[in-house]
Amino acid sequence: MDPSEVEFLAEKELVKIIPNFSLDKIFLIGGDLGPFNPGLSVDVPLWLALNLKQRQKCRILPPDWMDVEKLEEMRALERKEDAFTPVPSLYYMEITKLLLNHASDNIPKADEIRTLVKDIWDTRIAKLRLSADSFINQQEAHAQLDNLTLMEINTTREFLLDSLNFMFKLRSNLQPGSSKGQLTDY
Amino acid sequence: MSTQSYFPVPPGVGMEENFLSLDDILLSHERLPVRTECSFPRLGFLERSSDAHDIPEGTKMELPLWLSKGLYERKRKVLSVDLPKVYKEGWRTVFTADPCVVDLHKMGPYYYGLGSQILHFDSPENSDIAQALLQTFIGRFRRTMDSSQNAYNEDTSALVERLDSLEKALFRSGQNGLNSFQSWEKGQASQLTASSLVLNYRKRKLADVQT
Repeated sequence: MDPSEVEFLAEKELVKIIPNFSLDKIFLIGGDLGPFNPGLSVDVPLWLALNLKQRQKCRILPPDWMDVEKLEEMRALERKEDAFTPVPSLYYMEITKLLLNHASDNIPKADEIRTLVKDIWDTRIAKLRLSADSFINQQEAHAQLDNLTLMEINTTREFLLDSLNFMFKLRSNLQPGSSKGQLTDY
Repeated sequence: MSTQSYFPVPPGVGMEENFLSLDDILLSHERLPVRTECSFPRLGFLERSSDAHDIPEGTKMELPLWLSKGLYERKRKVLSVDLPKVYKEGWRTVFTADPCVVDLHKMGPYYYGLGSQILHFDSPENSDIAQALLQTFIGRFRRTMDSSQNAYNEDTSALVERLDSLEKALFRSGQNGLNSFQSWEKGQASQLTASSLVLNYRKRKLADVQT
């Protein structure tokens, strides 16, 4: 899976915007949106919010968790715990990137938020690598991926699957006779 | 989006081989020390060290893996296969002591592949070899993972030079994940680029004109 596909999925997440135009309810396959009234906040998917923002038709309200204090707390917790801590949104990385790139003027302390989210991401990736290593080391058969987000799984998926495949083959060498039948008709 | 105009067949690893995998074809040319258990008449030209017409019983020579696999039979002893020195007891202890310090590229470069293929020839040490292969891989896993997921935008030749060919493939897939994430983060993923198919198509056309 490509990161841009993950980003595409993330664009379905709802964000609050304050439009500066008025429009009746619009009916889309994904659901009804609106009605839009100037000054009244309304939930729309991220893709629409960004589109309206680029045409300067709205102001985006950052999600609750996108706040320096809350993120600092999360970072501290993430560093303290050995396991993965619950994330505020399954697409926190993608949403942060999209919002900060396209609507950084609507988000207070954008730079600090960018650093904090990146810190949380790095801590989680380091943990993911650590757990992948112990997974391989102890030759476990299954692992729990609680609280991991799609983007995080996606960065390591190809590598981890290839190594597990490889390790499985080496392990099947251990049982003699398991695949020896193929030699006789060589 | 990653577009490749050519998808190579991956190596089979383990006991089986993939017929169309280039890596497995190269692997089948690795030489194994063998000892003949019966005489091979008129095949003296294979053994360059003597001018004899036949290969007598008990000659020690090196044969490629594909030939030894074909000639080897459990019931009728045609030849017995000796272990290459990397899979012998002495080296196995080195691998178990610290798998990270060994230069598998120099030892192999098909250390895992050849090691698994050797299990075809019934040797009393088979289970030890299989165990050593697995433990070597597990011991080296962390290093392969860390180097492949951290080396961004730098020369990786120093990192891969000591890796086995299979570990190199792993390294590449790790780099793939890292690079595609980084290019997304920098915003390059949203730029449109020409498909590699189109680029190759143009190249081919030019070649047609020249001939």
